[in-house]
Amino acid sequence: MRLKLRYGDFIVFLVIVLVAALLVAAFYQNDTNQKTAIILQNNTVIERVDLTRISQRYLINYYGEYPGTIEVNNGKIRFLSAECPDKVCVNTGWIDKPGQMAVCLPAGVIIKIEGVQTDTDIIVK
Amino acid sequence: MKKLTLNSILISLALVLSFVERFIPLNLLVPVPGLKLGLANIVTMFALFYLDIPSAITITVLRCVLASLIFGGMSSLIYSLSGAFFALVIMIILKLGYEKAFSLVGISMGGAAAHNSGQIVAASLMMKNTAIFAYLPILLITGLVTGILTAIIAMNLFLVFDKNNRVKY
Repeated sequence: MRLKLRYGDFIVFLVIVLVAALLVAAFYQNDTNQKTAIILQNNTVIERVDLTRISQRYLINYYGEYPGTIEVNNGKIRFLSAECPDKVCVNTGWIDKPGQMAVCLPAGVIIKIEGVQTDTDIIVK
Repeated sequence: MKKLTLNSILISLALVLSFVERFIPLNLLVPVPGLKLGLANIVTMFALFYLDIPSAITITVLRCVLASLIFGGMSSLIYSLSGAFFALVIMIILKLGYEKAFSLVGISMGGAAAHNSGQIVAASLMMKNTAIFAYLPILLITGLVTGILTAIIAMNLFLVFDKNNRVKY
């Protein structure tokens, strides 16, 4: 009798899926040709990197209780190493699309990518 | 006295479960902060169904406090407490319709979703940034899977307890 599903189970399931879908729609961003990675530590911007312009490997260190290093390369960005206990940030890997982000909760560091769509590809004068 | 002992045993059981699940590398599969199996929720559900609401609250709060003292940290205490609080409230409400409207699966799924939402709310308040809400959809969907999983485990556990009729105090 306990194993039998009730109608409420399906309602709970559908409500959760619906909320998830709405959130995905709310946070979805189109891919753009200009991308800026914003690195925040405890809600203060510690660095802004124009991903479309940087072609060489570039490292950013952050400090605090759990310090770490962020790597920018080939228009992508990631947590290279971190001293936090869970390493979720490093496991996230490379991110390169607007709306994507990598987070190190223990260190309070967020990397998020914001895109600006410029309609013109090239300006010819 | 018997109640105190039973609650203590359940707290240590919940602690062991939340310790063991740290060795299951779910984060390599889906690298999202706050993702976990939620095995300790089996203990909370057991307390809700076989003991009473105060016991369930005591067990959950003490489990969170002890877990963060042993292997978490101050920030993990805030995340897990707020998640556990939301989960408990939702599960207490859903349990009102137990066997009529919901089975254990619905209660467990609702609890998992509430836990994830509570964690994200706490994290965004701590970091003063709403960007972290972008993780909530993934957490909600994985929560459905882990919620069903823990419900199946809890069902089998409850069946054994009902058969033996051992839990009396």
